[in-house]
Amino acid sequence: MYPLAMKISLLLFAIGILLVILQTTLQRLLPIGPVVPDLILVLCVYWGLNHPTMGAAIGSFLLGYSVDILSSQLIGVNAFAMSLVFVAVYLGSRSIWLHHPLVSSIIVLCAALIKGAGLVLVWVVFLSTEGFWQGALKYIISEALIAALLAPFLFALLARGESYFAKPGPAAQ
Amino acid sequence: MLAFLRKNQIALSSCFCLILSCFILTLSARGQLRNEPVGVVLMWVLRPLQMAAQGTANWFIGIQENYLTLSGFKSENERLRKRIQTLEVERQRLLEAEATNRKLQQLLDFRAQLPGKSLTASIIANSASSWFQGCILDKGSADGVQKDMAVVTPLGVVGKVVSVTAHSAKVILLTDANSGIDVLVQRTRSRGIVSGSLDSGTVLKYVKRSEDVQVGDRLITSGLDGVFPKGLMAGTVIRVNKQNLGLFQFIEVLPAVQSARVEEVLVVGVGAETVPAKN
Repeated sequence: MYPLAMKISLLLFAIGILLVILQTTLQRLLPIGPVVPDLILVLCVYWGLNHPTMGAAIGSFLLGYSVDILSSQLIGVNAFAMSLVFVAVYLGSRSIWLHHPLVSSIIVLCAALIKGAGLVLVWVVFLSTEGFWQGALKYIISEALIAALLAPFLFALLARGESYFAKPGPAAQ
Repeated sequence: MLAFLRKNQIALSSCFCLILSCFILTLSARGQLRNEPVGVVLMWVLRPLQMAAQGTANWFIGIQENYLTLSGFKSENERLRKRIQTLEVERQRLLEAEATNRKLQQLLDFRAQLPGKSLTASIIANSASSWFQGCILDKGSADGVQKDMAVVTPLGVVGKVVSVTAHSAKVILLTDANSGIDVLVQRTRSRGIVSGSLDSGTVLKYVKRSEDVQVGDRLITSGLDGVFPKGLMAGTVIRVNKQNLGLFQFIEVLPAVQSARVEEVLVVGVGAETVPAKN
């Protein structure tokens, strides 16, 4: 009824919403301190690399927006950062061939750094930068490293889930 | 034209999203983005999922605690172990119920001390971003929660309500870099602003170098910001650095409430004025 690309976009968006909720509960479950693993970032990178569609661009924006709704008092920060990440990954995806888990880690690391730069840009324009720079650097680096570590596992999980989803049902066969 | 749009639809939609997010950011920074429908709907949709996730998280924590408790009984035989396991689960449930009762009783006692209107709420989600410190409450405007209400526990200040939907409310924590609470040093009555910072945790700002502030000094709300009742514990001074340059001291603060461990809070209305500070 719907094209496969749209179905996959909807699936990834639904997974994204679940990951947003997971991110809001991770702090209680794991003794990870103030740094929250950015699962949404990994998802957006996966989306941008494997299924760069219009739905993916809007999906990344909406996932960032939902993080904003749940977390920040300045709405739009994460929506901007995720859109920026999607654009960067989309432009880069034309020349990246993902054939090794290590590559996914490196791409996610770069994407996390781009997201960090985007957040810093927004922060500098709209918020106070008093007592900001060292902490920002700490968060950017630690978030990027955690996201890069998680990337191969999440990429594998997403690919596995997607292959089940894309498998034709008995009726189609 | 249509072919161009079709060919570049991804790049164009990405640019549209970027421009839209900049537009939203500008509106939000100017305070013109209140109760936007997408956010309200999203909060409404996410609330039951968050409550379920929080319930699951609590269940996992319970299981983990049960496992730790039971690890000492390995030498017991299978029947006794099963029996103990059942009893332990029951005990855990009762202990949890007792702890909840105790916490709620403390909240009730504390609530009785507050002069203004207040209501009890549970935290159903924490911040999804490392850059912002916040949480979501399970009560909203339908329950009487309003923007700028204070969020407190018997131990002290938790944060402030920044946005409200019908059945949930977003709270900015004391430890957020964009928060600011007017406080007094209890011993000397020196005034300052307690705020979070990305660099060095929670800090007390704008205290002149000439003021006498020492490690261990307790900070209480001044009541002058019109949000927090006077006399609530905000934190304790853990480091003082009278810098060589500048007008102000650099003071690090340990918040009175470790918000990651809080489950129930009180939301206090603006009518509340003075609370006797506990020693």
